[in-house]
Parts: sequence; structure tokens; C-alpha cells
Amino acid sequence: MNRFLLNPTPFGPNRREFLWQAGAGFAGLALTDLLCREATASPLAPRVPHFPAKAKHCVFLFMNGGPSQVDTFDPKPALAKYHGKPYQGDAKVGSNGRPVGHLMQSPFEFKKHGRSGLEISSLFPHTARHADDLCVIRSMHADTAAHASGCLQMNTGGIFIGKPSLGSWLSYGLGTTNENLPSFVVMTDPRGGPIGSASNWSAGYMPAAFQGTLFRGSGSPLLDLAPPKNVTDRTQRRSLDLLKSLNEEHLQSRPGDSELMARIESYELAFRMQSEAAAVVDLSNESAATLEMYGLNQPRTADFGRKCLITRRLIENGVRFIQLYSGGGHIEDTWDGHTDCIKNHLTHAGETDQPIAALIADLKRTGLWEETLLVWGGEFGRTPTSEGVGKPGRDHDWHGFSMWLAGAGVKGGQAIGATDEFGFKAVEERCHVSDLHATILRLMGIDHTRLSYPHQGLNQRLTGVEERHIIAKALA
Amino acid sequence: MNPLLRHLLFFGLFAVLPALGAADYQRDIKPILRDRCSSCHGPLKQKADLRLDAGSLIPRESHAEILTRIVSDDEEERMPPEGARLSPEQVSLLRDWLASGAPFPPEEPVAKSPRQHWSFLPITPHPAVPESPHPHPVDAFLFGTGAAPRRAPDGSLLRRVHLDLIGLPPTVEEQRRFEEIPDLAAAIDNLLTRPEYGERWARHWLDVVRYADSNGYERDAEKPFVWRYRDYVIESLNRDKPYDRFILEQIAGDELSDASVETHVATGFLRLGHWDDEPADPQTDRYDQLDDIVSTTGQAFLGLTIGCARCHDHKFEPLTTRDYYSLVAIFEPLERPRKGRTELPLPIEGTEVYAWREPSAKAPPSTILIRGSVTRRGDPVQPAIPAILTERQPSFPAPGEKSTLRRLGLARWIADESNPLTARVIVNRVWQQHFGEGLVTTANDFGLMGAPPARPALLDWLAHWFMHEAHWSLKDLHRLLLTSQAWQAEKKEGAPIRYRRLEAEAIRDSMLAVSGQLNPKRFGPAFRPPIPLAAIEANTDRTSVWKPAAEPETSRRSIYAYIKRGLVIPMFETLDLADTVSSCPQRQVTTVAPQALTLFNGDFANEQATHFAERLRREAGSAPEAQIRLAWRIALNRNSSPNELDRMKSFLTEQSLEQLCRVILNLNEFVYPE
Repeated sequence: MNRFLLNPTPFGPNRREFLWQAGAGFAGLALTDLLCREATASPLAPRVPHFPAKAKHCVFLFMNGGPSQVDTFDPKPALAKYHGKPYQGDAKVGSNGRPVGHLMQSPFEFKKHGRSGLEISSLFPHTARHADDLCVIRSMHADTAAHASGCLQMNTGGIFIGKPSLGSWLSYGLGTTNENLPSFVVMTDPRGGPIGSASNWSAGYMPAAFQGTLFRGSGSPLLDLAPPKNVTDRTQRRSLDLLKSLNEEHLQSRPGDSELMARIESYELAFRMQSEAAAVVDLSNESAATLEMYGLNQPRTADFGRKCLITRRLIENGVRFIQLYSGGGHIEDTWDGHTDCIKNHLTHAGETDQPIAALIADLKRTGLWEETLLVWGGEFGRTPTSEGVGKPGRDHDWHGFSMWLAGAGVKGGQAIGATDEFGFKAVEERCHVSDLHATILRLMGIDHTRLSYPHQGLNQRLTGVEERHIIAKALA
Repeated sequence: MNPLLRHLLFFGLFAVLPALGAADYQRDIKPILRDRCSSCHGPLKQKADLRLDAGSLIPRESHAEILTRIVSDDEEERMPPEGARLSPEQVSLLRDWLASGAPFPPEEPVAKSPRQHWSFLPITPHPAVPESPHPHPVDAFLFGTGAAPRRAPDGSLLRRVHLDLIGLPPTVEEQRRFEEIPDLAAAIDNLLTRPEYGERWARHWLDVVRYADSNGYERDAEKPFVWRYRDYVIESLNRDKPYDRFILEQIAGDELSDASVETHVATGFLRLGHWDDEPADPQTDRYDQLDDIVSTTGQAFLGLTIGCARCHDHKFEPLTTRDYYSLVAIFEPLERPRKGRTELPLPIEGTEVYAWREPSAKAPPSTILIRGSVTRRGDPVQPAIPAILTERQPSFPAPGEKSTLRRLGLARWIADESNPLTARVIVNRVWQQHFGEGLVTTANDFGLMGAPPARPALLDWLAHWFMHEAHWSLKDLHRLLLTSQAWQAEKKEGAPIRYRRLEAEAIRDSMLAVSGQLNPKRFGPAFRPPIPLAAIEANTDRTSVWKPAAEPETSRRSIYAYIKRGLVIPMFETLDLADTVSSCPQRQVTTVAPQALTLFNGDFANEQATHFAERLRREAGSAPEAQIRLAWRIALNRNSSPNELDRMKSFLTEQSLEQLCRVILNLNEFVYPE
């Protein structure tokens, strides 16, 4: 029996069921999982999902800071009509005592795009070309007005630190097909990480093997990937060979010990990771046209473009979950347009629109579109009112905001749900953050009610204990 | 394919076949009873005196009413009363099954009353040691009249006992002395007197109490003077403070009649949790903080997962929301000293102490929160112990002059010799740390959902001995366990002692000891070791988030390293550091490539390899053979084999001594003590 994974099986019976079944035979146990665990010692070994799923990879394009729904994917003609008038609805406006201004129309023009006629603002001319692939959810809502807890909720389902993130759940539930690369990759913005930094890609109470790995778009992509400067390739290999032969000799005193064997293998894996991860960020074999398509030749789009291109390459290499952050550090360096939402969104949309559209086109070109799920959005939205009378900023709005899904298993060219007349509050087909999580898991082949991890006496789930709903309309 | 798997496969396939004929009890009926009936009519609760969790319990005269109630349209009548109605298929399955006389398998297991659960029953008063040729009681329990497993060689045992008790390998001098006089009992006694013992074992306790130096969340602010609590734990262990006193001080150190600065520091235990200084909802946040205290107290001292009863009666344990809020009431008088978002320490006799305070001896009113909601207050509650754990409530003292003394009441009950859980839980933790696996494998969960004890009689004997013979002395307990043949056995398949990787801290500290760089400076504020730039880049405040210290501060023992909730030292994180948010019952052992990257390529390991090489040149001279022999002694505490010596010598003809040292620090043998 392997002692490697101290943890229970992701798809196994929950503890209560286990108690019930003890003595009553093991009928109903997830057999695939048992077989997998018997065959390998790695916590990241691939596992068979609950349902056959098209999506094998997930890319979360995290618009850190909170993009404004009424300026992006949720057109509100009423705002033009009532522009400059005070808001008189019942939603709690604003966060943390910031000044509340009047209703403010979007300066960005909305147009219908594609055969579907999906409405998208002029902030995203490139992405709009893929309108028929996008499934916009206009009725998102979250539980918190603060960035720290908002980012945590979007990433881990809860507003407290210590919970595993979406990427951890996917790594735990599905494993990876390529252990030469991390299964869960995070790329942050050059201006800094999101608020709460590593708590957002933490494995929480799960083993560290499931946590997100920071990946840099240039140089040495992974922590401690390269040998020390004074160590040549030959020395590195000779040292690893010596280590391996000494470890193998030591193993003879404990033949078949799975932990020792796994540790020997981990050094070889690290060595392969060194070449494979370095190869992923080496874009020299990409055509000039590709580099241009992603915007690598323009300063504004170069960084996010590079990350998007590396994302495609990571997907090609079997990485399960990739999260890209647009925006980092504080306030206007993120989508957090408190002072001037217009200028802010022009900047951040300008940096990301072309690269995201290129990623979609490139995934289609390579056929990976058929097995990749894209998620776009931030931790919440922004108020339809300005922050302060006559000011161009917008404050946080967690009562209603927009996100989009696209790719494998998603029914594109539609907008689901609706906010109220002004875009404050989700009112139709309301979709909680945890509903989105349930839907993402479903698209990846996982039943969110059955993927659990025991901790503190409970079978914890990404979607928590409340009843959550899959956004059925989003599924193709 | 192994026969078990084949068996499972067969029954597994059988289980997913669609229902063709009559209802099958296991497949069709039991899941309905389990999922829809048993939370009110099961082992924990028996509304209307009815249990439906097993076919054998359902009285025939109830069949008719069950059938009426499950199809009733009357909302007051229908069963189950909450959630979706039973589907027509489920109703028809139940109807057919009841009509056919409700057949169930004769061997159907029926859960016992939770009051009879082993860990809630008193510890056996004078458990007899079994008849055995083995003089040591632990061996008598484990091996009976059988043979004890083979003893590990002396050299291995010296290494084992050093790493186990002080987290550092024996020096060359200590090895030599032990070779002259191989007296393991004397070595144990000696190690238990060293200050490094507390530095090693305090870390195990810090895991259990979710210790960290910062609060987490956006500002992830430092907990001012929290390190005094860490030092308190180290000193308490080194002074062998009786465990019952250790409990009293941490829960109610400020309420003791002999309260001192030290006992105030101890109550830092209650304030170690994560804290969002800009919470989404301040009222809810208040109860989240109380939940952190109640949950951690329950797990750490009692091995109970009480937190689950916050919103509803615990589904799997005999704990009700009333039990939960009665415990909350004990801590509700506490206030976090703060000025806005900034936490403040408490001044106690001129020392800044990181603790809560009770502003008044008059307790605020406490109530149940219905479904955990701060806007739905239910019945008032008074401080009380969960009903399942005691026939009669302990008498909580009347409020004192400065505080309510509620915590003192709880602490006394926990530390009382009649408490069925306390001694069992701590004895099991110590056993787990020495043997690699607890007698109860779920160290934080002794409830119905926890694992049953592998050796209930031994656990009870140890618990009883610990209280009545050792008078709660942890050092006596260490001495007892380590002098058994069980602990001294070779770590082979089937032996009671497990072969297990060292924790992150012991790996790092061993490297420092071997390289000769270990800075023995004790106590005081935590130090920040250098960490890779890439880990810092992902933070919002990159210039201020982590200001590393310099040598020799950075070569202190790992227990003094700063644990920042939002930025855990990558080397620790990848090597399975404890969860910093909730109580960690046992470290995980995972093996993944990033660990190899850190230990082989990372700055820390390579710096120690360089220092190790310098040390070898200094102490063994320039001859490769002497260097290799000494390296083996220092790092692996044994002589190198002729084969190893040859291979090292040949490696050194083309590679540097630094490279050799780097390899040694990465050996499996270095991190897996025999």
C-alpha cells in the first residue's frame, strides 16, 4: 500500500458513505481511482473524471481589480438617460466609505458582434471578433466588497484564507498528463501580484503538490529551476548521476520503498523540468506572424501577449490549469479604476484585448480549442455610479458583474442573466461565484458535489455546503 | 490483477447496473435512508423515537405512517421536511420494499449510540499490562508473548534519537562517545536536558495551534510580539511544564490565581488565528474569530471537530449548535486589542504581550445564531461543555474581579483527570511524532468520524500512566516510549515505527548543523531568511513585503524563521510545512519535483554545501579520502563503505568538493533517518 498520498481519493466515497458501506461491501467505490492509486505513487497521476469532458485544460484570465460590467459586456442604455442623476435603487453602493457620485454612462460604445449579435464594448475590438465563441454571464454576484476577500472567493470559493484554489481542486481531481511541468501554473503581472498573493493559488489544507506554481515568462521560468551559476551542464549531470547511484544503492536496503523511489525519480523529473520549462518560454521557433498576432512587437501588449503565447505552449504540453493575471500591485495598476475608470480600462483592456484574441485564434488553429476552457473576469465589477460627483472613477460592485466563458463545452454567442436597469445588481438568473465554480468543474468533467477532501471533520468542497447550481445554459 | 481489485471491480460493476427487478436494500433503499432520513432519525438523533438508519431498526407498525408521510402534500406533514421531495422512483422503491416486509441483510451493521463511542467513555482506570516476557509495558502490549522486532544498530539509533528529540544529527564527538559507551538511555536523558529539545518539539505544538507571525489577507500585518508565545512553548517544554498546567495557561493564563507575564503570554494561543482587518462583514467576522478559537481549542486539546456545529447540529458527531454556542459563550467576553486596523499588544507588567483581553468581568449576553447567521439570534446560552462529553456540567466559577473566569472553568474541565479525551489525545500526538503514525491515525479527530485506535488498551494504559504515574510530564513520556524495543526496532515493513521523511525544519537545521553554520541564538523576534526574487515578485508590495535578514541571523534554527501567512518561505512550503490557517494534526509527506529543485539548485542548499566543503578542508585537510570519510561521519553519522569511498574519490578527480557536498545534502539517507 502506498503511503505517499496520505489523502483520500478525490472521487471515493465520502467518509459518511464509507462508514455506511463498511461491512456492507465496497459496492459503489470509485474503481478507476483505486486502480490509479495502486498503479502509481504520484499525487499528480492522471485520474478519470466523473463525466466524459471535452475540456482538459482551463485558462483563467484574471482581470485583477474588478472590471466594470457597464463598460465591457453589460450595455445599459438607461445610464445615458439618467447620466448625472443620483442612484435611487436599494443596492448598497460603494465600498469602505468611499464617496458615492451619480449614475455615469459608459463612454465606450457597445455594438453587436458576430452572427449572434453579442454586445461588446469598444474596449475589446479584437476579442469582439470571437463574439460567437463567448458566453457572457451578466448576472455574476459575490459576497464581498474588498479585493483581498474578493480575490480569495473567486479563486478558492471562500472569503477566508486557507482554502484550496480552483487550480488545486482541478489538479487534485484530474492530476496531470505531463509531470515534467507543473499541473497548475500562475503568471502574475509585472507590476505585482494580486492582493493576498500566494493565498490565491494556495493548496490550502491539501498537500503542497496541488498548489499553483509561479511561472515567469522569461529567463528562468520556475523557482530554482536553473542550477547555480557556477555549475556547468556537465557538472549538473555528473552530480545528479552520482546522487542517483548512491540513492539506488541505499534503496537496496529497502527494496520497493515507494517514497524513496519517488524521491529518486523527483530529481530526474526536476532535471527534465529544467529543459522542458525552459523550452516552453523559448519563443525562438515561433513565427514572426505569431509574435505579431499576440502583440509581442508592441510595448503595450508585449507582456500579456507573451504570457498568452506561453499559455498556448503550456496547454500543448499538457498543463491542466493556467491562471494569468492582468493588473498587479494597487489601484490604477490593476483594473481597480477608482480614480479614472475610463483611462484605467483603456490601459488594461488595451494591454490584454489583442493577446486574448490571439490566444483564441491560435488555439483554434492548433485544434486545442476543442479541449480548452477559457474563463475571463475579475473578483467583482464596478458601480454604474461614479466615485464622487462628477469624477470619472467607479467603485467596487459585488452585487452584479460580468464574466465570460469560452471554448470546450461552452455554448458561445450568448449572454446569460441580467442586472437591473442600471447594471448594479444581478436580478435575472443570478449566478454566485460558487455557481461559476460548479460550472467550471462540470465543464472539466467533475461533479462539484462529489469532489471532496476531508478536513476538520467535514468533506470540504470547492463549492461549500450551500446548494449551488450549474449554469446549464452555458453548456453546449 | 490482485484478487481484491477483481472483487471490487465485480461488485462495482454490479452496483451500477440499473434497477431491473425488486428493490435491492444496499443499492436502492439504504442510500435513501442514509441521505434523507438519518440526520433526524439516526444514531445521533431519534425524533419521534424513530430510527431509520438501518432496516433492522424500523418497526413494522411504523410502515404505514412512513408511507403516508413521504407522499403527503401537507407541508407540515411531509417527510423529509426539508429539501427536495422524494422522487416518484424513490417513493415507489420504498413502497415496494416496505410492502415486501422490508427485508434487509442479516449482517447489516447498526451504529451504536454515540454515548458508547470509545473516546467519550472514561479512560480505563487501572488497565493491566498483558502477560509478556517483555519487561517494558509498551512492548508487552505490542508484542505480548511474541518476539520483539530486531533492534536497529547502535549508530542508527543514535542518529534516530538525536533527530527525533532535538532535530539535529549527532556531532562526530557525540558519535565517538557513544561508540565507547553505547548507553542509549543516558543519551535520551541527556538530550532531554538540552535547550534544542524545546526548539524541536515546540514546532510540533505550533503545528497544532496554527501558529504564524502574521494575520494573512491584504495587509498580512505582523502579530506584534507573537514570538513571545513561540518562546513560551519552547521554554515550557524545556522546563517540562506538566501538560495539565500547559493547558490551563494557554486557555486561561490571565485568569489563574498565580497569573504572571508568562501565563499571559501563554494565552496568545487564543489569538494566533488568521484575521482580516478589513472584513466583508464585521459582525460575521467577529463570530469567525470566535469560531477559530473554538475549533482550534476543540481539535488541539480534545481531538474534536466542533466547528462543524456552527450552522446546524453536527451531521456526523453528537454535537449540537447549542453545544457549539455554549462554547462560544466561554470566549465571547474576549476582545482583540486594536486601534482600527492596527493590532495592539497588551502591556502586562511592562512587557508587551500578544493576547486578547476581557474588558470586563460582566459577560455580554450569548445566544445561538440560527444557521450561523448574525442576524438570526436564537435561544440564549450559558457557558457549557458539550452534553455528550459529561453527565453533569462542571461548575463554572463565578465571575472574578477582572474577568468572567469562564475560560478558567473550561480549562479546568479539559485539564481534569476525569476528562476522557485530553490525555488520550496528547499521548497519541507524542506517540505519532516518535513512531511516525498515531495509535489513532486521526490525531485531531477522536470523534465518531475519526479512526478507531489501533491498540485501545495500550492507548488507555499510556493515558492513565501519563496522568497518574508521570503526573503529566512529557519528558517522562518521551523517556518511556524511547526506551521501548518498539521504538528501537529496525524500521522495516510491519515494525511499529515508520520510516518517514524529516520535516522541512529538521532538513534545513540538519544542513546548517552539518555545514557548521548553525547559529544557536535563541528566542526573540523571528528572522526572515532570503527567498528567491521570483516569489517576491508575485506580491502587491514587492519592495516591502519581505526584507531578508543577513548572516548570521539567517542561520538560526528554523523555528525562529518568520511564518508569513501570505508569503510562506518557498523551501518550507514545498517541503510540506503545516497549514498556517488551521490546526495541523500531522505533516503531509509528498514528493514532487519542486522539492528537488529547491534542495539541489536553491541558494540555501548550495551555500550550505559550500560551507560544508570549507569545513571539511579545515577539519580533514586536503586529502580527498579524509574529506570523504569525515563528510560521511558528519552528515550520515556512519563510516563510508569502500565502494562509496571509491566512487567519491573518482567523482572528486573531476568535480569539486562543493559538488560532492551538494550531493550528500540531497541523499535520501540524509532526509530519511533509519
